[in-house]
Amino acid sequence: MTRNTRTPQAFVITDKHSAKKTEIIFANDDTAQTIVVAPITAVRRRNRGWRWGNILLGAIASLITLWAGFTITQMIEGFFASSPILGWTALAAAGIAACAALVIMLREIWGLARLRRIEKLQLTAAHALNQDDENSAQQTVAGLVSLYQNQPNHAWNIKNYNIHAADILDPRDRVRLAERYLVDPLDETAHRIISKRAKRVTLLTTVTPAATLDILFVAAQNIAMLRELATLYGGRPSTFATLKLARMVVTHLAIAGGLALSDNFIHLFVGKGLLGRLSTRFGEGAVNGILTSRIGLAACDVCRPIPQEANKREKLGSLLKELANFSGEPEKSK
Amino acid sequence: MKGRQTLKWNDIIDGSRLATGGLKDFTSRLLQPTLRLGVTGLSRSGKTIFITALVHALLQKARLPVFEAMAQGRISNTYLEPQPDDDLPRFAYENHLEKLSGTDRQWPEGTKRLSQLRLTLDYEPTGFFARNFGSGKLHIDIIDYPGEWLLDLPLMNLSYQQWSANTVAASRLAPRSVLATDWHHHVNQMNAHQPAHELDAVKAAQLFTAYLARCRKDDVSLSSLPPGRFLLPGDLEGSPLLTFAPLDISADTQFASGTLGHLMARRYDSYVARVVKPFFFGHFARLDRQIVLVDALTALNAGANAVNDLRTALTDVMSSFRLGANSLVTELFGHRVEKILFAATKVDLLHHTSHDRLENILRILVDDAAKRAEFAGATYDVSALAAIRATREATVTQKGEVLACIAGIPEAGESIGKIKFSGETEAAIFPGDLPADAKTALDGELKGQLKFVRFRPPLFKDVTFPHIRLDRALEFLIGDKFS
Repeated sequence: MTRNTRTPQAFVITDKHSAKKTEIIFANDDTAQTIVVAPITAVRRRNRGWRWGNILLGAIASLITLWAGFTITQMIEGFFASSPILGWTALAAAGIAACAALVIMLREIWGLARLRRIEKLQLTAAHALNQDDENSAQQTVAGLVSLYQNQPNHAWNIKNYNIHAADILDPRDRVRLAERYLVDPLDETAHRIISKRAKRVTLLTTVTPAATLDILFVAAQNIAMLRELATLYGGRPSTFATLKLARMVVTHLAIAGGLALSDNFIHLFVGKGLLGRLSTRFGEGAVNGILTSRIGLAACDVCRPIPQEANKREKLGSLLKELANFSGEPEKSK
Repeated sequence: MKGRQTLKWNDIIDGSRLATGGLKDFTSRLLQPTLRLGVTGLSRSGKTIFITALVHALLQKARLPVFEAMAQGRISNTYLEPQPDDDLPRFAYENHLEKLSGTDRQWPEGTKRLSQLRLTLDYEPTGFFARNFGSGKLHIDIIDYPGEWLLDLPLMNLSYQQWSANTVAASRLAPRSVLATDWHHHVNQMNAHQPAHELDAVKAAQLFTAYLARCRKDDVSLSSLPPGRFLLPGDLEGSPLLTFAPLDISADTQFASGTLGHLMARRYDSYVARVVKPFFFGHFARLDRQIVLVDALTALNAGANAVNDLRTALTDVMSSFRLGANSLVTELFGHRVEKILFAATKVDLLHHTSHDRLENILRILVDDAAKRAEFAGATYDVSALAAIRATREATVTQKGEVLACIAGIPEAGESIGKIKFSGETEAAIFPGDLPADAKTALDGELKGQLKFVRFRPPLFKDVTFPHIRLDRALEFLIGDKFS
């Protein structure tokens, strides 16, 4: 064995940096251990005991259903009394309505269950990554594959990953590998979605005549972005699921470092940037665009089935650059 | 024939001891959930520091991101309870902490007696049932003891004759034979079948103890040195219980009454019965979780002989423990250790890129015990950790070559190459490369290629100590108790 042996050595560190032939660089302590946190779980309210609010809502909802059923039955009976044909027609309409309601309800449940599933996946993935745990790693990968295997555009990625499925890998590496094949390709699309919506928000805010209208536009664009992102990462954003997701994203924003103060973009908000000095409307548009990008990034965190390491996360900066490009030359020329 | 009879009788007594201990624990466990955490390790493997750091980290809510119950904020309160057992001294946690964090920052001295600490954690269970009806409280009992005493455990399964033959044979092999000359000289003069003479026994015990103490010095760093009370007698100093030594006999010698051999054998038996067994049944037979701390670095410093000896010692000691999954029967009549973590300590003396290699070496060292644990249905894991991290990492570029170093303040008297340390200057140390193939650590190829230097404890800047993978160890050992 020809191993070039390196003997033990000591380098005394003196106050004045003795710049002989050696150079000592100290490592940053924080890099010693990176911990992955599952964003959804961090965001969830902790429910202790009974949720009385939900019980109240449930009771009221069942009362309303009863009332509606009762009224409709009475109405149909009334129709039958005047003419059988009218009665049958009304009955058929009521039946169709009931079917549709049932399907919608099932879809809502399905959507919420899917959200739950992604949450569980995030949790097991975080566990596998932090603990280097074989069991959770297997579960994570199986969950990931089953989440995506019904989507035709994933077939190629799954096939690629399966080549490695039987390999002997460290648990942590297995999760990261599955992530690279199955989730990472989605990040690019997510980036496109966010930048598209952010640009649109900027434009809409700039051109909308009334200030109240653009609130509506911005909200609609943000919700649409949220749904697009959720669908992209394998969620089924039905109405309730979207609402829940929106709440999670807002909480995540609040927890994860507020409004990008750490990103050094505070001046954009305070002074509305150079753009704001050129045109008030345009400045407002830019601010709204930045906010949208920020929300989009938070939504990505929440929807992504495998939590990302903090240092690999997409930064607001890259999105803002695109936004600035779109917004015109002034930003560049400063 | 008679020997076998007594052995059987002993087994029955030991079995009933296990059962009474098990029943007692079972009933107390019904009232308050208690976890007995066994911090096992030979002397100088860092048990006291580990316990102090663990307790401190839990009490001060240190950064333990991997320990999920704490990271999720489910542990609401941690505090030290009054002593549960009236006959055991309290672990001097505050003193150790003071010593570590005081102005002159010293590591705690070696433990000289048994002590215990009860730590209580209040937590929020996750399950519905446990949340509404459980107590949400977990007591953790931790015991500290001199690591030397652990070496006694294998003696429980050996007769005096077997032990004598093994010890004498081992002392005639390579690294030990030089150190044992004085004692060998005396052993050769004695005849086991002569009439017993107290002074002979005293002299033999003294020389034997001196030989054991010599084997423990840093330059040889041998580990397998039973009986443990010879090295650290505690309150038994000078007692007849410690006045015996191995004789040059074969494993199946029979002694007539009144001979020297008979006297020695009788004392050995009482040593096992009165010192070793109470220690074992009182503490080790009742553990739930166990962490085995192994100081592989000191052994690596001293060379392949020390590493091999460490392996023998670990294998012997671990064979005494009751590992395996628990069922209702074992819950009632003698508990088993169901989770065991083998940990290489003082990993802060290495750059983190070498941690994996150290873990591989540890895997070889505990291979036997790990296999047994797995076979019995216990879960085990191997990890490299530092309960208190005394160094930081640095890279040194020298003549175009990049060396992964660790930097800190080496203890006074440590040296590497020509440089001697005063205990005041900071230095970056390159300790050498651990082998990619862990087996080379056992066959002596590494001679002179490694040098691990002891560092002083870190400056106590924040409220908590820095650590390496202490949280991972916690998660493995007790994490499941909080779900």
